[in-house]
Amino acid sequence: MKRYDCMERLGAMLKDELVILSLGGSVDEWYNAAPHMRAASLFQQQLGCVTPQAFGLAVGLPHRRIVSLDTDGGMLFNLGILATLGNEQPANLLVVVWDNECYQSIGGPPTHTAKGKVDIAAIARGAGVGHSYTVYDLDAFESRCRDGLAARVPHVIVAKVEPGVRRDVHRKHSDGREDKYIFVRHIEATEGIVIMGPSEHN
Amino acid sequence: MQPNVVARVIAGLKAAGVSVVCYLPDSLFKELYPALDQDPDIRTIQVTNEGEGAAICGGLFLSGKRAALIMENSGLRASIEPLARMGMGAGIPVVMLMSYRGDLGENNWWAIPHGMTMEPLLEAMRIPYRVVDREDEIERSIRDAFQWSYAAYYHSAIALTGALVR
Repeated sequence: MKRYDCMERLGAMLKDELVILSLGGSVDEWYNAAPHMRAASLFQQQLGCVTPQAFGLAVGLPHRRIVSLDTDGGMLFNLGILATLGNEQPANLLVVVWDNECYQSIGGPPTHTAKGKVDIAAIARGAGVGHSYTVYDLDAFESRCRDGLAARVPHVIVAKVEPGVRRDVHRKHSDGREDKYIFVRHIEATEGIVIMGPSEHN
Repeated sequence: MQPNVVARVIAGLKAAGVSVVCYLPDSLFKELYPALDQDPDIRTIQVTNEGEGAAICGGLFLSGKRAALIMENSGLRASIEPLARMGMGAGIPVVMLMSYRGDLGENNWWAIPHGMTMEPLLEAMRIPYRVVDREDEIERSIRDAFQWSYAAYYHSAIALTGALVR
């Protein structure tokens, strides 16, 4: 199963949602696979922070569906967030974990899932996120995501995907700080709120 | 922590517009956490480590809600990596309220490193901070920290010490 194909399936299901995603090649893949979600998606550069930030967003905007596109390396960096999700049970958060069993963005050395012993979905279930599943094909991925997007409890979908980055995609023309402004302005416009307003004086 | 100090902290958070608090419990703020849990105007989220709490606060900032990360100052050491990337990279601020373990008056050997590292780490991170030991400065300091962080889009910190926490 290829991550890009999963992204196209997931993107087709999204409209008003907000997405926090992980660093690396998956950023350009996502913006190409789901171009209509460009302003509604923000990538975060630090391992272990993608799902916590998505959870914070879910707490702050409880009426809105939030999607976290995390990774095996990122989730393993801070497994504690699964226990926090287990306790807090956010009603509007879907977590997808792209599990390619490697640190793709630095050339592909293996993560802990590569030996076949570490099961992130089982860890998530043990942490209290009952709807946690591992999927191996596109139809199962789409079906689990559809269920998770409609649910009132958190879902964690671990998608077993092939290593590798799709090369024939457009690179985004912005840096992370610019992306934050694009994302915040999108939320301001769609929520009718001010997040980063003007100073007292110009 | 005396009840009047707990009340001042909560009043300061409310005056600053805080509606969510992420915390990892510690002993010097022991009385503060259940008071926050019971406050109807503040949602509390207990986290597994302070770095996770910093990231959740970052997500809350993006939502337009005001959040605070409350912890022992040792939590600063656990938070440095996400704080550096969120603050120096994207410009996503986190406001921290810390108990000042290891300050003069400390009577635990294990807490001495907390005091030795807190201010140098804050300075290395270019995080402005205020050490508060007077009850009548608590509210103003918390409001000032939020005011600054929402002008700078960078982190700030308040450390409570002395008779406020002992």
